[in-house]
Amino acid sequence: MVALGTIYFWVCALTAVAGALSVVVSKNPIRGAMGLLLLILSVAGLFLALHAQFLAAIQLIVYAGAIVVLFLFVIMLLGPAASTPNDRRGLFARAFGGGLAALCGAAAIALVASAGLAAKHPFPLADVDPSFGGVDAFGSALFADALVPFEVSGALLMVAVVGALAVARGRQGVASLTRSEREVARAATPEPDTAGGAGVYSHEIHAHEEHSS
Amino acid sequence: MNIALALSPLLVVALGALLLMLAEAFSPRQGGLALGAATVLFVGAAVAGGVWMYGIERLPEAASLAPWLLLDRFGLFFDMLLCLGGGLAALLAGGYLVEHGIERGEFYVLILFATLGAMILASSGDAVTLFLGLETMSLGAYAMTAFRRASPRAAEGALKYFLLGSFAAAILIYGFALLYGATGHTDLAGIGATAATARTPLLVVGAVLVIVGVAFKVSAVPFHAWTPDAYEGAPTPATTFMAVAVKAGAFALLLRVLLIALGDASWTSWAAGWPPVVATLAVLTMTVANLIAGRQESVKRMLAYSSIAHAGYALVGVTALMRDPTQAGASVLFYLLSYTVSTAGAFGALILCGSHGREAVSYEDLSGLGRRHPAAALAFSLFLLSLAGIPPTAGFFGKWFVFKAAIDGGLYWLAILGFVNSVIGAYYYLRVMVYMYMREPAAGAPVALPMRSGYVTAALLVSALFVLALGLVPTRAIEVAVRAATLGAG
Amino acid sequence: MSLASCLLLAAALFCVGLYGLLARRQIVAILLSIELMANAANLVFVAFGHYRGGALGQVFAVFSIALTVAEVAVGLALAMLLYRRHGDSRVELASEMKR
Repeated sequence: MVALGTIYFWVCALTAVAGALSVVVSKNPIRGAMGLLLLILSVAGLFLALHAQFLAAIQLIVYAGAIVVLFLFVIMLLGPAASTPNDRRGLFARAFGGGLAALCGAAAIALVASAGLAAKHPFPLADVDPSFGGVDAFGSALFADALVPFEVSGALLMVAVVGALAVARGRQGVASLTRSEREVARAATPEPDTAGGAGVYSHEIHAHEEHSS
Repeated sequence: MNIALALSPLLVVALGALLLMLAEAFSPRQGGLALGAATVLFVGAAVAGGVWMYGIERLPEAASLAPWLLLDRFGLFFDMLLCLGGGLAALLAGGYLVEHGIERGEFYVLILFATLGAMILASSGDAVTLFLGLETMSLGAYAMTAFRRASPRAAEGALKYFLLGSFAAAILIYGFALLYGATGHTDLAGIGATAATARTPLLVVGAVLVIVGVAFKVSAVPFHAWTPDAYEGAPTPATTFMAVAVKAGAFALLLRVLLIALGDASWTSWAAGWPPVVATLAVLTMTVANLIAGRQESVKRMLAYSSIAHAGYALVGVTALMRDPTQAGASVLFYLLSYTVSTAGAFGALILCGSHGREAVSYEDLSGLGRRHPAAALAFSLFLLSLAGIPPTAGFFGKWFVFKAAIDGGLYWLAILGFVNSVIGAYYYLRVMVYMYMREPAAGAPVALPMRSGYVTAALLVSALFVLALGLVPTRAIEVAVRAATLGAG
Repeated sequence: MSLASCLLLAAALFCVGLYGLLARRQIVAILLSIELMANAANLVFVAFGHYRGGALGQVFAVFSIALTVAEVAVGLALAMLLYRRHGDSRVELASEMKR
């Protein structure tokens, strides 16, 4: 009889791989983001099985709650540009990517199957004491042992905020461009900024504006 | 108290970043604050703290921070080096951003935060702090690259840099995950202790992934695809920062990993360790970058490839770590110092040679500069000579020590290849000088017009001082580097 | 459920992400692929953390999540910027830049 744990693992694993594949192959980025969501949920499920309850919660809150939503925001803002049809690279690049990925996969299988690992590490996971991975154990590890990196991560988040602001805030004239760049800028497609809500729902937005005015 | 003292370079830079951020946010009008000067003040204070601590016999005790942060002389050396690089970039920004009308305070905040990240990276003895420092540094650099928001080229370069940089970070993190699985440690010393006794396949794969990830960060060929575009698209002070501080930080990471985590004799042997891998990277990086650099039409892009080539020379010294970690490590540190001042100077001179709307980009832009503006041309020539490795400049001794370390380590062929490459490299540096002194601009062609800026002049003076001082009396600096490279000796 | 199966799953996710990174041109798709790779690394950390005991693996994983968030914030800002400049959100990673 197959143990319940094994079935649970296989359900999570297959969902995760399905999500990952849909991220990579789907042309529509919204579908890709949903694939990532699927992957995140199933990885959180695996975290639970690995006695990382708190981390599973974090995974759901931060990844599913923040990252995927941020992705969706940007996909909506980009609108049609986010799902351009001519998206895949040439045959060579795809073959290279596929070959490299297959190579890494083969290496991983060889690694896990290798005698060194199998002999040294008894594969079934050991039983751990029930407090492991809970908020208590995790919190004391994070705030007592790992206080220094915790403080350092403040700098990381700060630089991300300042960096994102510096990149995305407001508009800037073409005064700072060099000669050749100005030509490139002119040749580029008409300023999308002025095109208003060039999103998936741009028709609706325009319709709404017309309606209200 | 001791800990605050030992951390003072980091704390000063962090404080500076926060204060500048607040000052910029609450200042009534843009550009009203002398943020460039303030940035230099803070990194200068950090350097002063570093110099003072370097001089005293026993470093302040900071064992309670270990293994997250190792506040040893190696870290202090990099603190000073990175602050020097960050300070020079800030000085250049003070001139460049105003001249080209993109002065916004965020740039200085980003410089300070990225410098802080690089300092944390250079001091970290654990994979966790290492990553946080690395990402703080990289995120700052990505944002600085895209700072000229109106430019399509800046956006494209920054995005390329970002995507490949995050890819490298993912590889690196996966590598450390495998190392953690193989050893049960995330601190480099713990990994090293286990790696010395038992070599499992898991450990080897982890080490390979880590080395590949770091190779991306130091932009070694064949992992360099992002470098020219990012360097060219970025505003020149940001290019300077990336070429100088980001590269130095990545080398600190490489040295720490190779010396502490993979420093055991079984890993440093030619037959079964990392030296052949690093040597291959070094040869590829030098050769490919030099060959492509000679074909560039844009001086900025040429300097970008030149910075890749210089990473190759430094990797020659890294390979020599296999025999004598202290001497070879010191040669790499000295090389990074000489490279920092020469490169910052060269980019600074390029900035000086152009003014608003008349930026110096191609070789033709510079033609006749020696006659029209002798001071600017002279400064540019000095730094180009240093980059080419011609005495009496810092670059000469930088190359000298690195190749000597390779010869002492029995790597004659590597030293010869390095020498041949620096001869090839001299071609494209001297080509700039040929244009400056021996060509005249075609009639009616647009010429670059040098700008006037106290900031840029100051940066050039500081760099020139270092280039000449290191080129004339390198002994003191190499002593400092030797003490820094004695890892674990306090 | 065993350590080996977790490692294999993580390796599979990593490889799929690697393929996506190399085979796609759309920035959002590439960013999503990088997310896959980050998730794979987290899974390795947590699996080994369970196997090794101690909270180290999980602590690393939580920092790795924070790191990814910061990365995504800057990355999406850059994607927006490129779209505003080019009216396009594709990028050629391997080629020389258009001039």
